[in-house]
Amino acid sequence: MSSSPDETAPLFDISGLHYRYVGAQADALADLDLEVQEGEFVALVGANGSGKSTLARLLGGLERPAAARHAVACGHDLLTETGRLAARRDVGVLFQNPENQLVAQCVEDDVAFGLENLAWPAADIRRRVDEMLARFGLEGLRRREPHLLSGGQKQRTALAGVIALPRRVLVLDEPTAMLDPAGRDEVLEAVRELRDEGLAIVYITQEMDETAGADRVIALERGTEAYAGDAAGLFADVALVRRLGLGLPAAGELGLALAERGRGFRGLPLTMGELLDALAGAP
Amino acid sequence: MSGREAAGGAAPDTPGRAAADGMVLTCRDVSFSYEEARAPIPALRDVSFELGAGGSLALMGASGSGKSTLLQVVRGLDAPEAGAVLLDGAGLADARYGALQREVGLVFQAPELQLFAATARDDVAFGPRRLGWPEEQVTPAVDDALDLVGLPAARFAARHPYTLSGGEQRRLALAGVLAMRPRLLLLDEPFVSLDPSTRRQLAGILERLKAAGVTLLLATHDADLAWALCDELLVLREGRVVAAGAWDFSPAAGRLLAVNRLREPFLVDLWRRLGRDPQRAPRTAAEAAEALA
Repeated sequence: MSSSPDETAPLFDISGLHYRYVGAQADALADLDLEVQEGEFVALVGANGSGKSTLARLLGGLERPAAARHAVACGHDLLTETGRLAARRDVGVLFQNPENQLVAQCVEDDVAFGLENLAWPAADIRRRVDEMLARFGLEGLRRREPHLLSGGQKQRTALAGVIALPRRVLVLDEPTAMLDPAGRDEVLEAVRELRDEGLAIVYITQEMDETAGADRVIALERGTEAYAGDAAGLFADVALVRRLGLGLPAAGELGLALAERGRGFRGLPLTMGELLDALAGAP
Repeated sequence: MSGREAAGGAAPDTPGRAAADGMVLTCRDVSFSYEEARAPIPALRDVSFELGAGGSLALMGASGSGKSTLLQVVRGLDAPEAGAVLLDGAGLADARYGALQREVGLVFQAPELQLFAATARDDVAFGPRRLGWPEEQVTPAVDDALDLVGLPAARFAARHPYTLSGGEQRRLALAGVLAMRPRLLLLDEPFVSLDPSTRRQLAGILERLKAAGVTLLLATHDADLAWALCDELLVLREGRVVAAGAWDFSPAAGRLLAVNRLREPFLVDLWRRLGRDPQRAPRTAAEAAEALA
């Protein structure tokens, strides 16, 4: 881990952030504030085009903010070129499309790529790569060319490459989108383990069920924060959920459909267990 | 219908597609391998199934089980090294096969990455023009397709694709396939990365295509949408068919899903937990609420 000027400061300390794409009519991010502490798991949700992926790139030091009161990532000033370059070491970003992330001739070389750039000793690289391949069930594919991998295998390879490096914070842009249900559970478990090891996680998702494990949920609307709080608080405001283009977990959608048919609940059930309890308890 | 006889140069079918008849898809012992430096990687092995006209089949299986490969082979982008893909009973050697292939539409994973034209209209018109349709047939086909995906031409036809949101781009890419009026529509993970609201819109579009008689083959990891949209299920494991036909929620079938890294639909799981027959579980939250209210 690299040291930051102040170990107790938030890993992301962003205020008044603006970003606009060349030729666009409106800001992709407008006056956005974000604070993320060490060991915090923040789920980032929002409609397509609300600015989630743009924020991910800015947090990773991959784009220059148009303006900000301050924008600090792991102690590095994202408003300066040197700060952004330094942020790229500490902030691991997994892109939404793994095709954009796979660069080497085979899976194990791809996972090793970042470590080689950091000039790790060969034996350490081998040990770390083996650990990552095992963690993501990729041992049998280590010599496979990336373009011959399935969508889900590409996604796991890209994630293994991002996590292989020592990071302080991970920004994961829909890391489970291409995965089968078991692979999705495995990645969520890996993310929780990394959080428990002290990493901060910013986790972008369109799967409402996946917000359940987050410490905090932030919803974006047209590049600005529309909600920040726990998942239950977001889903309790169904009008806001609909306005934001989001949905409810499956249990919540059914609970809502029942409520519309006159079968009210004290609180909207959000999990299978809560739904079964509500159905058993209600007349 | 005219689509049967359509060769290059004429648009099949009439607008509105009220009477579109879906294509029958038959795969007979289809095998396919990818070539790599050291050895071929088998991707499909002796895949056999039939999907009836107007049928809807969910194609499921673990990451890397061969779903995308199967769609590409059915679409004719890869030739099977053994076995045959039959469209309305016609194989590669049949004179009708080329025309029938043009009535198969494939929506790739993340198809919005392949948008390239300067306007939404030109992007959607690309396919029909490439098929040599006269412009007076291209225009209504594009308008219909844009309407169908909820991007009405009056508002969207002149827009640059890159000014659309991600969800709008996905629907525009779908319109590019629908403009060619496919009678068999192949979709590769069409819901991935869409926000829940856009997912509901897309599911509604697929419901309308299904109601219009288009045959659907949907590769997805989303058990809930597969169950809501598809009458049948095909599970691939390492390129082989391990389950095919009507949905089966017996304990043995449940174990088969788990082994293949899949899960049962939420509403099926709920019905079982409520002591009801999972085989008769509702397909949507609205249906479930009707049954429970």
